[in-house]
Amino acid sequence: MSTAAPPTTPGPLTAADGGPLRTALRHRGLGKLLLLAVAAAVLVPLVRATWPGATWPTGLTVDLSGPLGRTSDWIIDNRDSHPLFVYVLGHLSNAVVLSVRAVYLLLLALGWTGVTAGVTLLAWRVAGLRIAATALVSFAVSGLLGMWVPTMQTLALMVVAVLASVVVGALLGLAAGLSDRVFRLLRPVLDTMQVLPAFAYLLPVVLVFGIGVPAALLATVVYAAPPMARLTALGLRGADPGVLEAVSSLGATGRQRLLTARLPLARKELLLGVNQTIMMALSMVVIASMIGAAGLGDRVYQALASVDVGAALAAAIPIVLLAIVMDRTTAAAGARLGSPADTTGPKALRGPLAWAGIAVLTAVLAVAGRLAGSPVWPAGWTVAIARPVNDVKEWMVDHLYSGVPVVGGTADWAAHFTDWVLNPLRDGLTALPWYGALLIVAALAWLIGTWRTALTAVLAMAAIGVLGVWKPAMNTLSQVLAALAVTLVIGFAVGIAAAGSRRLEAVLRPVLDVMQTMPQFVYLIPVVALFAVGRAPAAAAAVVYALPAVIRITTQGLRQVDPGAVESARSLGATRRQLLRQVQLPLARPALLLAVNQGVVLVLAVVIIGGLVGGGALGYDVVTGLATGDLALGLVAGVAIVCLGLMLDRVTQPTARRTAKGA
Amino acid sequence: MANLTADASDVPKSRTEQGSSGRPDAADPAGQGDRDVVFSVRHLWKVFGPGADRIPDDTSVAGLSAQELRERTGCTAAVRDVSFDVHKGEVFVVMGLSGSGKSTLVRCLTRLIEPTSGGLEMDGEDVRAMDRGTLRELRRRRASMVFQHFGLLPHRTVLDNVGYGLEIQGMGRAERRERATEMVAKVGLAGLERRRPGQLSGGQQQRVGLARALAVDPEVLLFDEPFSALDPLIRRDMQEEVVRLHREEGRTMVFITHDLAEALRVGDRIALMRDGKIVQLGTPEEIVGSPADDYVRDFVRDVPREQVLTVRRAMRPATDGEAGEGPALSPDTLICDAIEAVARSGGAARVMDGARCLGIVDHACLLNVVARIDRPHRGEVAA
Repeated sequence: MSTAAPPTTPGPLTAADGGPLRTALRHRGLGKLLLLAVAAAVLVPLVRATWPGATWPTGLTVDLSGPLGRTSDWIIDNRDSHPLFVYVLGHLSNAVVLSVRAVYLLLLALGWTGVTAGVTLLAWRVAGLRIAATALVSFAVSGLLGMWVPTMQTLALMVVAVLASVVVGALLGLAAGLSDRVFRLLRPVLDTMQVLPAFAYLLPVVLVFGIGVPAALLATVVYAAPPMARLTALGLRGADPGVLEAVSSLGATGRQRLLTARLPLARKELLLGVNQTIMMALSMVVIASMIGAAGLGDRVYQALASVDVGAALAAAIPIVLLAIVMDRTTAAAGARLGSPADTTGPKALRGPLAWAGIAVLTAVLAVAGRLAGSPVWPAGWTVAIARPVNDVKEWMVDHLYSGVPVVGGTADWAAHFTDWVLNPLRDGLTALPWYGALLIVAALAWLIGTWRTALTAVLAMAAIGVLGVWKPAMNTLSQVLAALAVTLVIGFAVGIAAAGSRRLEAVLRPVLDVMQTMPQFVYLIPVVALFAVGRAPAAAAAVVYALPAVIRITTQGLRQVDPGAVESARSLGATRRQLLRQVQLPLARPALLLAVNQGVVLVLAVVIIGGLVGGGALGYDVVTGLATGDLALGLVAGVAIVCLGLMLDRVTQPTARRTAKGA
Repeated sequence: MANLTADASDVPKSRTEQGSSGRPDAADPAGQGDRDVVFSVRHLWKVFGPGADRIPDDTSVAGLSAQELRERTGCTAAVRDVSFDVHKGEVFVVMGLSGSGKSTLVRCLTRLIEPTSGGLEMDGEDVRAMDRGTLRELRRRRASMVFQHFGLLPHRTVLDNVGYGLEIQGMGRAERRERATEMVAKVGLAGLERRRPGQLSGGQQQRVGLARALAVDPEVLLFDEPFSALDPLIRRDMQEEVVRLHREEGRTMVFITHDLAEALRVGDRIALMRDGKIVQLGTPEEIVGSPADDYVRDFVRDVPREQVLTVRRAMRPATDGEAGEGPALSPDTLICDAIEAVARSGGAARVMDGARCLGIVDHACLLNVVARIDRPHRGEVAA
């Protein structure tokens, strides 16, 4: 079919070719399926004879609530006396509390004038005028919305969490970058951590530290450090070998090599790591409000608990603005590395004295603000948007939720989606015999990946059953699958359209940029406003959250299709349709598979968080566990989430991903 | 190590290289024997793969072809039993196609790639026996290298790249910058000190690489296909730059290339490698004029011989009366220059070594060379 194939890129082309290779692959796939079928034919009757019924047999479950409850009780009883807590964890927790407190007090001491000025100047110095203006506006808006103090609380937590994550991540990355053994050991762990939903990290830290700032901060560090570690290691390993050889040929010692060549050569990756760490940390700091982090996230959490959309929005806007400022500042700093000289920032802010200048200017403005009035944002300068937003929401409830002519209301859609898609899917999955589910997982994972990924997936799936949460897990799975289907349909359609039209892509880009920067938590607010609470809004939030990544990857995948192949197909007179179907889509297959993989991971993360807005299932178990202090319930759900995440990632993990990410 | 001591017996201690290595083609051309030897390489092997150390000593596999060796042992011999001397002040070219092992060979000289076995001396010191500190000193001050893909640090300015080797040595900032500025000017990049490598053309980047190597004032410059990544015109410029530098400073150079024209242009002596072995070692004239085997002959077939060979190869004995008249040429005159002289004078020219007439070149002699018609006894007249 693709006679258009020039010999330049043999990999994807041969895969897309209708030649013997493809048939061989097919046959290998068939072989795998056949093998599984034989295994099933032998095992299924045996299994059915032993454990009749479709749900996971109770004989195969392990009830962990007893031991977990006892562990939790033991920790609570011994937190003040056991040496491990007194001498190690106690100090750790004190250090965290003290440092967060210190940063918070510093921010308060600087006052709103000082903080705003400092952040703006900093952004100006490292990222240029436009981003400085964004920073200025963002902080002003936070103040105007009456969110100054929570913003400072979040910022204080962020400063400490990001510093800790960057240090931990960089050290791990350094070890993995320099030692092959550490790298081999760490890489699968980091890869796996990257696909786990944020919720899974909450319970274990609460178990050890109890609810409070230390737990929130540690969860954040554990969640945010892996990208830094990964990118540091990859950066150190990806350094141009030619340059390193030249450095060695000049007689550099190992230390000199590291400091003058390897680290500077990895600067781009290091800054990208900082950027990703900041974004992950913000996302987690907001979610960690559930385990005692004060600040903006807490406001959103409280507001969502009482379905107060207005108040939630007032706290969410500063979160989004904070995210945008942090992302753009660090991204611009990274992008600027490629350019020759320090071309941004005013003259006064360049050179080595710049940092001192920023500090002095900030201090002056802080003092000026102090003299002029209160250190926190003046109360008279705030705009209460909660009321009007809630009015709008009320109006929407009255006019848009149902009974809109022809199209129906949003609540009607949600109900239909629940009745016609989510419920049948959930019931189907629950009714599906558990061994059937295992077989399907095995077949999918084996077909797409290797027997190793298939084994991991099956074991993860079985672990869910063993933990005794098969039913809620199937419920969560049904939501994930439904949301994933919607995400892929919309994502591929938009992605294909954007790949075909430069204009559409130009319009989409800023929208996708902003959407990708926003923390997961924020997505819950608009869907609650539109669809009330329930499983459908949780799925909708998941779709919205996962869409940007899917669209991006699809568009890029299609764009990167070998232009030679496209050109020669055109020269043979292929129509646009033929071109898309016969050349572009087959050649972009790896990208599309990656999009599915990313889609699954992202959808799962938000479906779990959807437990907060009535999504039920595993996410709800975590929330209830935290709310009622029933740590055993929450922990089991947390482990099940980990298993589900692992399973979904492995089932959709194309074998090529390793090489793609290692590059 | 046993191998090393065994070698020591047949490595000549004197400065001259003899046939004791058992390779007639490694013999020293006349006139070079009295110069100091910088690098002395004896029976050097570099084998990649499992159990690589055993290959050189294993007589049952050491002689196999590259493919057979890979099939039998899973190893690849990049350098096999190579011996040569590099003399002080010469440009020693190692030439071969890609995969012939030449880049591995040059890296073995400073142990950027650790040789598997064999003898390797620099100025009489055993390089293979050096500890890390001594080896580092050797790399820092005595031999520096210029790479095909430049190997510049993208985050440093031209000046800081050139001064990098000095920085590694621990030289102070001011002194380093002064030296680097000098070197930048020397390679013709004055005014570009503040640029970064990414802002330079390929030719300019390689000049930076050259300046970096020169800045540490090394005894030997090693070039690993330095100009292969450059456009032909720039390549030509750079080759002339190297020839000029060599003329001005007389620094010893080891030059790796796959380009025969380049080898002939810059080289005093050329070692031609194939499958890890040296198939012929000699002056450009010897390589072009008397290829050792069909492989070399094939290799040099398209070389314009009149630009490489000298009248020594074209002349015939003088007959009566001829020794007294006609324009006089030195024995090292290239054929193409002799053609011009003969064409201008209209008659035969004399090849004169001082006052002695070595022979005569006329139209027929010169045309025979250009037309590749071999005459009997062509080379022996001078001997």
